[in-house]
Amino acid sequence: MTATATAIDPVRLAVVQKQVDHISQQMGLIMTRTARSPIFSQSHDFTCFVASAGGDIIAQADGIPIHSGGGGFAVRATLQAFGDEMAEGDVYLLSDPYTAGGNHLPDWTMIRPVFVSGRLCGFTCNRAHQSDIGGGAAGTYNPEATEIFHEGIRLPVLRLVEAGKLRRDLFTLLLLNSRCPDLMEGDLSAMFGSTRIGAERVAAMLAEMRIDQGLAYFDALLRYGEARMRAEIAKLPNGTYLGEDGSDTDCFQKIDVPVRVALEIRDDALVFDFTGSSPQIRGFKNSSLANTYSAVYVAVATFFDHSLPRNEGLFRPVTIIAPEGTVVNARPPAPMTMNTVYPATDIIYACWKALAQAAPERGCAGWGKACYGLSSGRDTDGRFFVMYHWHGASGGGAVKGRDGFQSVGHMISLGGLTLPNVEGYEQSYPVHIHRQELRCDTAGAGEFRGGAGVDYICDVLVLTEHAVRSEGVGRPSGYGIGGGLDGASGLLDVDEIGKGSCPPPQYGIQRLGPSRIRVQSSAGGGWGDPFRRDPDAVLADVLDGIVSSEMALNAYGVVLTSDGCTVDHAQTSRRRLSAAGS
Amino acid sequence: MTTDAIQPPFRIGVDIGGTFTDIVVAGAAGRLLAHKAPSTPEDRTIGVLNAIAGAAQAMGRDTRDLLRETELLVHGSTVATNTLLEGKGARVGLLTTEGFRDSLEIRRGLRRDVWDHRSPFPPPLVPRRLRLGVTERIDAAGAVVTPLSRDSVLRAVEVFRAEGVEAIAICFLNSFRTPAHEHACRAIIQEVWPEVWVSCSGDIAPIMGEYERSATVVVNAYVGPRVAPYLRSLEERLSGLGLRHPLLIVQSNGGAANVAEVAHHPVQMVLSGPAAGVGAIRYFGRDTGSSDLVSIEVGGTSCDVTLMRDGVVQMTDQLDVEGHCIAIPSVEIHTIGAGGGTIGHVDAGGMLHAGPRGAGARPGPAAYGFGGIQPTVTDAQLVLGRLAPGPYAGGAIMLDRDKAAEAIERHLAQPLGLTLEQAAAGLIRLVDQNIQHAVERVSIERGYDIRDFTLIAAGGAGPLHGAAVGRALGCAAVYVPRLAGVFCAFGMCNTDVRIDRIRSWYQRLDDRQPDRLEAAFREVEQQARAALARQGFAEDAILLERGLALRYPGQQWPVTITCDDGLGVEQLRRSFEAAHQRLYGHFQQDGEIEALGLKVGARGHLPMAAPALAEPGPLRWPEPGGRRPVWIDDATGTVLTPIHDGRRLVPGDAVAGPAVIDEATTTLLVESGQRLRVTAAGNYLIEPAKKDGAV
Repeated sequence: MTATATAIDPVRLAVVQKQVDHISQQMGLIMTRTARSPIFSQSHDFTCFVASAGGDIIAQADGIPIHSGGGGFAVRATLQAFGDEMAEGDVYLLSDPYTAGGNHLPDWTMIRPVFVSGRLCGFTCNRAHQSDIGGGAAGTYNPEATEIFHEGIRLPVLRLVEAGKLRRDLFTLLLLNSRCPDLMEGDLSAMFGSTRIGAERVAAMLAEMRIDQGLAYFDALLRYGEARMRAEIAKLPNGTYLGEDGSDTDCFQKIDVPVRVALEIRDDALVFDFTGSSPQIRGFKNSSLANTYSAVYVAVATFFDHSLPRNEGLFRPVTIIAPEGTVVNARPPAPMTMNTVYPATDIIYACWKALAQAAPERGCAGWGKACYGLSSGRDTDGRFFVMYHWHGASGGGAVKGRDGFQSVGHMISLGGLTLPNVEGYEQSYPVHIHRQELRCDTAGAGEFRGGAGVDYICDVLVLTEHAVRSEGVGRPSGYGIGGGLDGASGLLDVDEIGKGSCPPPQYGIQRLGPSRIRVQSSAGGGWGDPFRRDPDAVLADVLDGIVSSEMALNAYGVVLTSDGCTVDHAQTSRRRLSAAGS
Repeated sequence: MTTDAIQPPFRIGVDIGGTFTDIVVAGAAGRLLAHKAPSTPEDRTIGVLNAIAGAAQAMGRDTRDLLRETELLVHGSTVATNTLLEGKGARVGLLTTEGFRDSLEIRRGLRRDVWDHRSPFPPPLVPRRLRLGVTERIDAAGAVVTPLSRDSVLRAVEVFRAEGVEAIAICFLNSFRTPAHEHACRAIIQEVWPEVWVSCSGDIAPIMGEYERSATVVVNAYVGPRVAPYLRSLEERLSGLGLRHPLLIVQSNGGAANVAEVAHHPVQMVLSGPAAGVGAIRYFGRDTGSSDLVSIEVGGTSCDVTLMRDGVVQMTDQLDVEGHCIAIPSVEIHTIGAGGGTIGHVDAGGMLHAGPRGAGARPGPAAYGFGGIQPTVTDAQLVLGRLAPGPYAGGAIMLDRDKAAEAIERHLAQPLGLTLEQAAAGLIRLVDQNIQHAVERVSIERGYDIRDFTLIAAGGAGPLHGAAVGRALGCAAVYVPRLAGVFCAFGMCNTDVRIDRIRSWYQRLDDRQPDRLEAAFREVEQQARAALARQGFAEDAILLERGLALRYPGQQWPVTITCDDGLGVEQLRRSFEAAHQRLYGHFQQDGEIEALGLKVGARGHLPMAAPALAEPGPLRWPEPGGRRPVWIDDATGTVLTPIHDGRRLVPGDAVAGPAVIDEATTTLLVESGQRLRVTAAGNYLIEPAKKDGAV
């Protein structure tokens, strides 16, 4: 009996779907609870997934969205490298974006084949950002990199565990190449444990169902995802829609780095063609193919109904054209560690802008791009630390029905990043934080407005390296949509205490004495015409100090009474009408 | 169980739920009576008094008579939770350190379901215009950097007065180190505005983390002015009706406290109700003979999962109630949207789903005939013959099988191309799986093997799922309390008074520590003892338990260990490493360990109602009262199934599956190959839960 000949019972299909989802969630739970480094446990910078024997993701849970689409590349690369000799008890590890299906070097992907009765039935995997992998800067991000060799160790598909036996030599090699071998060892054991338990559960499920039947249901899940997506796409009008976003820096100089997409909607299929995007750039904001696919998947998955299953069947109707040598599909040895944020965000925004033309109601405004970096150095006890200035997170973009989230962080994590408490930072790091408050008049105006940026001031009390990545300074990045306005752009100021201003580069490393870092973060864009915003909502924002009365008047057409405490509805209507007529 | 056998002294548990207010009266010799009265959301006191009157009537007494003979009346109420969920709390002003008034709104950025980015956060309980900064600053070590400015406090108070604020919450940075500025600020406010409600974050939740602390103190201030008057008025009414003892209120920590204590920390009431299940679980531990229990309490809209290991109910330091963070020691209850009212639907891709939407109490399941047309779990149970058509829930509702069948036929069977029975069974299958996954999640998070546990199936709807869930989990046995439908009210009859006090203690573990740690513990214990003494407990009726939250630096979550073996560094390290090994599968040899906080759990011991144990009778296989076609499970399908009337089953009786037992507050299903026994205390044990078979 071939797999496809099995009759699919809809109840069992639902049970299998929930079971594989549950298994991937269990894997995530084990990761979160077992990992050592804050980047796992706090930032959820990892993803767990279950893949079919052919390398298609059939379930994934937890983790940050930008990891969502790229996992299949890693599994398929592993199949290509070791498909013929894969054995029960093997575990594979990889990271290289050019040769091994990786997205960028810090994300290590562990792949564990699942065997049932000697037959390869699928894979349980996780992809997790390591604390440090060597390279030119601590903490995996080297804004001065111009080649991938400056960014850390490259892992091809490694057979790290051979038939149940850990390759000690390889394992030691990995730890030797990290500045934080303790954290790495702890995190790798979390990855081992999580994939092992996942594999046991998948094997048990398949054994219970009989293997052929089980695999037929895996196929059916992918077909189900595909059917859901085709039904969603079919609701959109056919046509070609253009979207563009991008950057104004290659990390070294001001230069236009556009990401351009032509979206073609043809019945129940989508083609995203990135022809015309910028050539690859000197700095580390080049995308790998896996990361570009992932970014497109995030754009598509967030644009449609969130109840869509997140398996790779969903993307069967999606074709991506990413010309080689461009910023969305760079050739070696271009550096690319930053790609999961930039250009991933630019790619998503270009796709969102194109999609919004086909379905304005579902349009998503841009989330402000980040304008903070990280400080690293030794604390007064001589201990090495790496500290992200996450308190300076940017505001989110609006969609129809809700305002943007205030100071929420990167779009590519969609709020999956836990921002730290001030108190936790002051206990753990040699810092004193003076301020973390929302900025007035930064939120992009709209019928639904963007999220505000934040004003964050932090004294770093010791000598540090300040690795700067300020994509969100300069031109506004949280674009408005459907008549909504852009959110304000960000500012980054650095002073050496007692010495005065040290203007930071947009990307680069500053070596600083005790310093004061101030982030005025960028804000999210608005959705829809601001003159359609409920005047009482505008009043509430004025009373809350998110919007000034001048902005209420000019951007929203809302006139307040002289005490500033109520809306003058008659005047407001007149003003809004005359603006509409002019 | 005949009601005329219930003799004083009485212990009473009253639990207000969404639809019914449940009451259980426990008398001498463990005799029990349960009663339900409709809840009265407009004035909850009425439902409580009606429930008491109803129980009294069933006992052939009047209310005054019953209350006069009552030595303990414990009450659980969703009043705090409902105030929060319905947005009907007090107008709160929040004072923060200048420059940090937005922590509450930034809420650490975390979205629960990141993919659902179109749903807003719930609005912060305090709008920004009422979150004001005060000039003051204490640094990370607890030293004053900027003294508290009296003027800035007074200015803020003027704004609050003008804005009609009813309660003020104070949360200053690093107040977990020293509450001095918060207390000084409170003193200034009370001096100029004595009647306003004020609470300080360092008193309510002295933990590191300004977001969690401010969120908690804000909830406290938000619900306080609503909860406290309700509790005081209820206590007054009850004492007017003859109650001679103080009214006790169930807290989120599973223990009770008097009205004065709860009125001061009303945030502790958010789990009042479900947390009382703890008392029931402990009690049943004695009947099952197992100290490893996991309970599922399935009602109309949700399923609560609670786990007890070695006789200790699992606790957590932080709750999330509809997006509001509350950082206080609480019973760890994992809640999922799976209940009798859970709606089944088929999506655009032809996939069957159970939930997350539910039909609630109104219109409720289609079978209720209140206008619901969506198919629910209750409809499926009815179609499958597991529930009988006709009077339900004590006669308050008539179940209409035709309406149930129509809903399932139209919305599930037809779109899926299945028979009515297949579709109904499919919905049940998914809910069983959902409950199973919830239990697995709880046990995995705690690092336990669920096969070692006995599953308690409770709540009105739980005992129809117990057999299947227990089998899928591989539990040793499934236990069903006869009073499954009033599980929490029953638990309230078996509770202790409990006070939890915590204090931050952020230090590396080292040799110099034990003496200072001992002193710190003593101080906290002193506070806890004093709180219990105020509630009338003598020194020898107080049990104290020390806990220490430890972690490796950088970890997000600490592990709380009990300090039974003293405070020596080596003992603490060993306990921590053992717990870490269990939870995470590894520990770090000689790794640096840091402490985050210490906590003291103080219990004022109340004598528990002992189960009325019958002499074990001879094994009897009673005849069923009738038979009807019932769908049992995938392997068995629908068979003519014996139906037993629970009131006729006595200790020692056994029933072979498949069988259905109708009880006053619930219905049980026994699968093929399983056997049900009536325990010495008159409850039900289904064995073996596990059997071989396909998914």
